[in-house]
Amino acid sequence: MVSNSNINNVKTKTIGEIFSKDPKIICRNVDVFYGEKQAIKDVSIDIASREIISFIGPSGCGKSTFLRCLNRMNDTIDTCKVKGSISLDKEDIYDEKIDVVTLRAKIGMVFQKPNPFPKSIYENVAYGPKIHGLSSSKEELDFIVENSLKDSGLWEEVKDRLQSPGTGLSGGQQQRLCIARAIAVSPEIILMDEPCSALDPIATAKIEELINQLGKNYSIVIVTHSMQQAARISQRTAYFHLGELIEVGETKKIFTMPEDKQTEAYISGRIG
Amino acid sequence: MNKNNSKMLTADEASKIVASSVIRRRKKDARLKTYGRIAIGLAVSFLIFLFVSIFSKGIPGFFQYYVTLDVYLDRDRLDPKGDLSPESLYNGDARSIVLESLYKVINPKGRKEKKAAKKIISSNADVRISKMVLDNSKILGKTISITFAVDDDIDSFLRGYIKRETPSSERRINDTVIKFVDKLSAENRISYKFSDYILTGSASRSPEIAGIKGAFIGSMLTLAVCFIIAFPLGVATAVYLEEFAPKNRITEIIEVNINNLAAVPSVVFGILGLAIFIGVFGMPRSIPLLGGMVLALMTLPTIIISSRAAIRAVPPSIKDAAYGIGASKLQTIFHHVLPLAMPGMLTGTIIGMAQALGETAPLLMIGMVAFIVDIPGGVTDPGTVLPVQIFMWADFAERMFIQKTSSAIIVLLVFLIFMNAAAVILRKKLERRW
Repeated sequence: MVSNSNINNVKTKTIGEIFSKDPKIICRNVDVFYGEKQAIKDVSIDIASREIISFIGPSGCGKSTFLRCLNRMNDTIDTCKVKGSISLDKEDIYDEKIDVVTLRAKIGMVFQKPNPFPKSIYENVAYGPKIHGLSSSKEELDFIVENSLKDSGLWEEVKDRLQSPGTGLSGGQQQRLCIARAIAVSPEIILMDEPCSALDPIATAKIEELINQLGKNYSIVIVTHSMQQAARISQRTAYFHLGELIEVGETKKIFTMPEDKQTEAYISGRIG
Repeated sequence: MNKNNSKMLTADEASKIVASSVIRRRKKDARLKTYGRIAIGLAVSFLIFLFVSIFSKGIPGFFQYYVTLDVYLDRDRLDPKGDLSPESLYNGDARSIVLESLYKVINPKGRKEKKAAKKIISSNADVRISKMVLDNSKILGKTISITFAVDDDIDSFLRGYIKRETPSSERRINDTVIKFVDKLSAENRISYKFSDYILTGSASRSPEIAGIKGAFIGSMLTLAVCFIIAFPLGVATAVYLEEFAPKNRITEIIEVNINNLAAVPSVVFGILGLAIFIGVFGMPRSIPLLGGMVLALMTLPTIIISSRAAIRAVPPSIKDAAYGIGASKLQTIFHHVLPLAMPGMLTGTIIGMAQALGETAPLLMIGMVAFIVDIPGGVTDPGTVLPVQIFMWADFAERMFIQKTSSAIIVLLVFLIFMNAAAVILRKKLERRW
């Protein structure tokens, strides 16, 4: 447990409001190293329940790295070291007692490139519930699959071909399949790493609509290169630069009156 | 910078220079293409030469000459004990019964001619009669016509390898024998047909009855042992090295050593097997189990290297996806990595097995070159393998073994082609799982 006293008592250079009233994830003084190189420098931020927060910033600023810290996906990289504290529901996720399997069941992830398993559409969605034992019968599993596909807006398009390969869908459909796969295990938070960067504008619009819908039930952290996208879908926006969290705040405020000069320069297209 | 060259070329000048160099470049391209074609042509012609030579010698090796005789199967002489047991038949007088029926046809006069006549029929004739009686005892006491393999020298004579024109003193068969053979031919008793022995016989010093069944089954057993040991071990090693092993000095050394092992001459593995399995553990020599273990040592590096390559070729995005929804490492590997890597792993394994199938040297070291007449019934029965059989036959002096050697090579090649075809089919099937 992270004690309550020092949560809101943190020194940070970040401009804006890093705290939130109903925090789901609390990150304090997070440093990330790849070997000798420091990729994230002293980042502190709260992520609230049922909020959509977007991370923006130029390429290589560390926003994806930071995102992958939140569900410990960086564990798979041997040289990666995470310092500081990240807690989910006030429990340190880097604690030795925490099992990454249960953590990742709570924090789902959608990747930049749609990466469905080379299996059927049904198998793709059913895989998570199966390995976590979320269903006790075929009927329950069918129900989960149907619901997840409905929530991701894919059901109408694929209900007649659940047994055909997931890789045979279009790029946008594949990405929605990946979202269905993520929500099939009933997570609390969904991390999205540039989910629309490989998609055309129409597919992107569909995904954005979907994210808006999902935001009612889940906390969503989305990394994006498109500032319009961040402006369209997120309630809060965090601007990263060279591994530092420069500014956080209400999306409207960040995009209209950023306090920091760097943020302003990026928003207005002068760096990035 | 050189002052004379510091001016930029005009577009016209540049295109002229380019045009002149294009011709040179095209010529180079054409030359390279020609070299490539010559190389492929050479390789193909060698291959054709090899196949023509093996098949022209090997196909006749599947056939041999037979002589048909009317044999009176005398019950008392064939089965002295009268109980039809193999032992009783073995003690019987089959050999002289066969010879008597031969004498009836060719009428040899005196001891010398009789001695010559004895050379015509294979020494295996009595075994053939015993077998027929064992299969069907009703034929006892009747006269039936039976075909017997002719002796290998007669076979070579009938094929024209031993020439009539050669002076008698330099021939392996004398004039009397030739006279008898002519007589048998004149009576239409000599026939040329598919050999009873090449596919079903076992090792023998008499080439006319030597076959490859023993070696073939020995090869199958050895390969089975090799696969059962090498495949799981190789895949497990590859998975560990790729997915679990920490990247440090020790794993690096292990990696380098595995790569080096793949290049170690196979005879060294034979010596290793001799020293460890026979020397230290005291395993019996010449058995397929031991052969398979030695060949497994040899094929392991190949399997490990190809399996690692296959595992590395699995897109990291698939692993990310599995980890992302909370699959454990083991689940990720067994549900996603291994199924995707399996075709590549199988390819490497089949290459390794094909190598093992053709391997002779390490098996010589552990005594699989022994002359074993019995067909192995299990992995602990002494046996030999196809390539060693080929090696032994190539070493024998009798003319007929030349064809037999080529026939055995054909069988080995067909075996290999079947294995590779099976691998291709298996791979296609697994790959179809998208």
